[in-house]
Amino acid sequence: MRNSSWRAMLRSPLVVVVLVVLVWFVATFLVLPNATLLISTFFPDGKISFRALEKLVSSERALNSLWHSFALAATLAVTVNVVGIFIVLVTDYFKIRGSRVLWLGYATTLIYGGIVLAAGYNFIYGKYGFITNAVRNVFPDIDPNWFSGYFAVVVVMTLATTTNHMLFLGSSLAKIDYQTIEAARNMGASTWRILWRIVLPALRPMIFAVTVLTFLTGLGALTAPLVLGGTDFQTIAPMILTFSKSSGSRDLAALLAIILGLATIVLLAMMNRVEKSGTYFSVAKVATPLQKQPIRNPVANVLVHVVAYMLFVIYALPVLLIVLFSFLEANAISTGTITWDAFTLANYATVFGTPAVLKPFVVSVVYSALASLIVVLGMLFVARVFQKHRNPMTSLLEYLLHIPWILPTILIALALVMTFDRPNPLIGGQVLTGTTMLLLVAYVIIKIPFTLRLLKAAFASVPESLEDAARILGAGPLFTLRTVLVPLVLPTAAAITALNFNSLLDDYDAAVFLYHPLYEPLGLAIRASTEGENNLDAMSITFVYTVLLMIIMGFTMWLVYGRGGASRRRRRSRPGRPRGGAGAAAVPVPMPVPVPVAAAAVTVAAVPAAVPAAAPGSQP
Amino acid sequence: MHKRTFKTASVATLILSTMVLASCASADAGSEAGGDADGTLIVYTNSNGDGRGEWVTAQAKEAGIDIEIVGLGGADLANRIVAEKNNPVGDVVFGLNNMFFETLKDEEAVSAYEPSWSAEVDQESGDPKDGVFWPLVEQAIVTVYDTNKIPAADAPTEVADLWEDSAYEARYEVNTALGQATPQLVLAGLLAPYLDEDGDLGVSDKGWDQVQEYYAHGSPAEEGTDLYARMARGDVDFGVLPSSGITSRDAEYGTTTGVISPADGVPYVTEQIAVIAGTPREAAAEKFIDWFGSAETQGAFAAEFASYPVNEKARAEALPEVVELIESLPKQDIDYALTRENIGSWVEKTELEYLP
Amino acid sequence: MIRFENIEVTFGEQVAIPQLNLQVEQGEFFTLLGPSGCGKTTALRTLAGFIEPSAGEIYIDGKAASKLPSEKRSVGMVFQNYALFPSMSVRENIAFGLKVRKTGKVETDRLVDEIAAQVELTPEQLAKNVSELSGGQQQRVAIARALVLKPRILLLDEPLSNLDAKLRVQLREQLKNLQRELGITTVYVTHDQEEALTMSDRIAVFNHGVVEQVGTPEEIYNRSATEFVATFVGATNRLSGEFLQHLRGSGGEFLAAEKSSYLRLEKVGLQPPARGASIRLDGVIADRVYQGSHSTYTIDSNGSRLRALVPENGALPLAPGAKAQLYIDPSSILQY
Repeated sequence: MRNSSWRAMLRSPLVVVVLVVLVWFVATFLVLPNATLLISTFFPDGKISFRALEKLVSSERALNSLWHSFALAATLAVTVNVVGIFIVLVTDYFKIRGSRVLWLGYATTLIYGGIVLAAGYNFIYGKYGFITNAVRNVFPDIDPNWFSGYFAVVVVMTLATTTNHMLFLGSSLAKIDYQTIEAARNMGASTWRILWRIVLPALRPMIFAVTVLTFLTGLGALTAPLVLGGTDFQTIAPMILTFSKSSGSRDLAALLAIILGLATIVLLAMMNRVEKSGTYFSVAKVATPLQKQPIRNPVANVLVHVVAYMLFVIYALPVLLIVLFSFLEANAISTGTITWDAFTLANYATVFGTPAVLKPFVVSVVYSALASLIVVLGMLFVARVFQKHRNPMTSLLEYLLHIPWILPTILIALALVMTFDRPNPLIGGQVLTGTTMLLLVAYVIIKIPFTLRLLKAAFASVPESLEDAARILGAGPLFTLRTVLVPLVLPTAAAITALNFNSLLDDYDAAVFLYHPLYEPLGLAIRASTEGENNLDAMSITFVYTVLLMIIMGFTMWLVYGRGGASRRRRRSRPGRPRGGAGAAAVPVPMPVPVPVAAAAVTVAAVPAAVPAAAPGSQP
Repeated sequence: MHKRTFKTASVATLILSTMVLASCASADAGSEAGGDADGTLIVYTNSNGDGRGEWVTAQAKEAGIDIEIVGLGGADLANRIVAEKNNPVGDVVFGLNNMFFETLKDEEAVSAYEPSWSAEVDQESGDPKDGVFWPLVEQAIVTVYDTNKIPAADAPTEVADLWEDSAYEARYEVNTALGQATPQLVLAGLLAPYLDEDGDLGVSDKGWDQVQEYYAHGSPAEEGTDLYARMARGDVDFGVLPSSGITSRDAEYGTTTGVISPADGVPYVTEQIAVIAGTPREAAAEKFIDWFGSAETQGAFAAEFASYPVNEKARAEALPEVVELIESLPKQDIDYALTRENIGSWVEKTELEYLP
Repeated sequence: MIRFENIEVTFGEQVAIPQLNLQVEQGEFFTLLGPSGCGKTTALRTLAGFIEPSAGEIYIDGKAASKLPSEKRSVGMVFQNYALFPSMSVRENIAFGLKVRKTGKVETDRLVDEIAAQVELTPEQLAKNVSELSGGQQQRVAIARALVLKPRILLLDEPLSNLDAKLRVQLREQLKNLQRELGITTVYVTHDQEEALTMSDRIAVFNHGVVEQVGTPEEIYNRSATEFVATFVGATNRLSGEFLQHLRGSGGEFLAAEKSSYLRLEKVGLQPPARGASIRLDGVIADRVYQGSHSTYTIDSNGSRLRALVPENGALPLAPGAKAQLYIDPSSILQY
């Protein structure tokens, strides 16, 4: 029972301080800049202008694109679940040979995305892709354009966004009470029946949450439709991008973003309700750890193995190809004629031969690390306050903190530059435009929604009695947070930090308007080295950077998730051993002991790159 | 409130404020770019690719000017300069075309300065009215094809043939990324002959028909795939390219580029240079402009990067094939001031109604 | 020691406890008993300082405490799920409160070892992670953690409810012994009436946020003040009007005819009592359930179906269908 009255909330000095700082931050960096920008776009002469709405409604192309975005989101909500649940079952539920290798293959989408991912698939299945060529050598009648449009976009984005399921659903699955499965089998239920009636229903809240994230990713789809959509299937995000760069059309960009934003808000409200319904993370009474299930029907077993490995190949091919292509001459890649003498180290030479090639890496690593740490640290307090005190004020603040999910990053960046280009009393009369700080502020801002959501969920999984216990033992709120709660959400926090870090590493949208001239971040450096009318090696150089980024990101993920995942795996690989001591097997221990809590945390944390992508107008 | 709650509160303030207090502190690096009149000159440009940025930096250093190049795409760069106009970060900007500079001038983001080489360039190519920005390099936006595949004799003589003649259906590339400079110039070139005050957005219906036909019969550019790569694999036969990109592509793809030269001419862009308004390093910026636009520097630049300088004295240094090409292409008559005013809404209309 | 004075607790619109008055004496084992949702845990949490009453005052040692934060009330608490900190070892869990107080390391170790010995935790167990302990051991850690700070009051929130039956009985005794040794004032919350009867010095029976009766276990059981107490604590037979009429006609005239009447199972005799007044009635055995030390008979008599708890002391069992004589002391009938 929570005492959520205002009085109780405002009595705690910690809460008051957090709220005061938060209100100031939200007002200064989220509301003021964006409101100013939006008001000036929608009320150009102090009067409301319906120009944007009229333009939008009368444009068949815009409405079509909008419709495509929603259709894509809805389709993905289904397809990603099908593939994602299959992947989770194959790696974590069924006894499949080599499931760890499969896991690694499926996890490749965690370390790359955007244009490179779409291009990777295009190089394989596209009009000049080698699979298409190979098939056409046998069956010349096949349409070379088979892999384009709605179908291709859905396929690629489905594969690209299942990472959520893997990391999110995976350990949700680990928390299922194995005894329920044993009981069902005892009553004669088949493998499929158990799966359908016991396992999947238990995963439902998580499946729902992941579906919401998938839907948001679909709405914001940008590069996959650009590369693979062809003329028939373009989405709204590229249009938003174009319009937000032109001051005259910014109202249209904002309007379109707000339409997507409204959908986001509706889904967000649903997500909040699922969280409040309490079944979300509180299923802690795991008496027996899950054991992997053999598929007893031999035909089905073979079939599942075949599909699992086929998917593995589909997942792993583009990554291998990108690594391979980074050693190829640009001409060979773009014309699709790969011969042995096309292999070269020239692309790497170009990248490393650029003067001060390391500096952008260092700048981006520092910015990303700082921003990720700051946002996680700040949101630890904020999520804690939100989770503990629910009232109209905290709800409002929570929704306001989601502004970065609703507005395109470009608009947020522009709003920041224009707001802080003069002394602002809210920040002590400082000017931020042109300083190294503004980009950091932007990075912190755009990572807030993702961080907040996951940390809130992590806190929700911590039993409240732990706090009471600490309190009655005399611990103050900060001491409790530090010694009791934070250690429990630490795996989540660390994983969020890593995911934020990875996604900020090659940011372009925010940096382009905000970066300090002397500290060029990586996203800009990549763009600079691939742009230019005479730069024909653009794609190869992008590949080189992608490979380098993959190494950094893979390392970060390994630091946070890989090791945790390994220990989780190891623990689960000894299924016969009861978790408790001698008498524990007989005694149902209701306390959420560290195993499930930590596992929950890792799971939650692992909602990966797709969530930042949920912001309309971003990847992939 | 007892002692511990105070402590609690203060520590919480400290930690939470990391995310915000830090932002209040004016970074030392910030002041470096902001205040003083000395220090490194920040040069904004969209023309730093292909090693040009490094070349300019090195050459400037030899001339005794310390510069730091900030390279961004044309539209992004213009947006950034406008957004920063109350507290400029850059000191000087070059490489943007007339349209972008008209915008900057309109927003009072650049200020007037008459360079020492002003007499050596054709004022008409820059800002003859106010002398705010000054021309450096000229480029033609041309429709190209590979003469190895299509003999020059068989090529259309007018660009409009591409969409009017069904033989070229989907055989020419159209760039739909209208946020970029070149596609905008193509659009401006398409609409220029059809300006009509009574028409929609100052363009007659016939002009809009042209735009519609142009995009409807073309093959949209593929993200990440170069025009010449598409020509090499037989995807398309024609496409639009700024003239400076031809030489390197012929070398890379083994093509022999042919150019459609319409009777009305082709759109030309002139890259300009100007001082960013409000910079504390105005003197250094002006020194840089005097140096960079001089016949000597522009000549060396032209020799190095196959550009066509506006500076008449520098033209002697330009590559002969470049000079030949540029001089063979008549300039289309485009009112850049008017185009600048309208291009935003033209792009918007095209984006909303005509793109495939 | 503890006094609840006109305590009212509300959650939004809902009134959880309308008006609570209670007095707990020094050194007493005091139990709050009631079905789930009756307000007993709310009362305990109010005492602990987790809930602020909307009206009234709690006095601890004669001092008003309801504005005091939990940690200032000198109470220790054991939670239903123990609330052990999963990120810490057993020793760290027990030492947590000492760490908060910045007790020195040597002193901390001494205190932890001392309390661990008292609750029978071995040094090996102290080094373990809490997840490696069994339920009973975890419970002891929770108790040790609460007691190491030497609170004046120990609060226990259904601490045995998560254990299996045998362990529960065993720990019940240990807990009671520990409390007696330490002489600590203890407030215990449970819905298990057997636990309440066996462990408590006094019991308060809660129903819908209201205390129905406060008294010793005997008073609660034998002289239940309300119908709720009579039915909630222990098993009872409800007597029909006809049965009551019969009793009134044969020596139980003082019984009110129109009131609800209850009779405890063990007060139904199948043999004449050794001493004391009793009324004899006729009945027919309907069923017998053998339970080792005793049997429960179901007997139809005068329109009532009564259950009787009969010790298995060697007498011949009665088979279903057999005639039986019931011996009932009318003064043991509870009327409301």
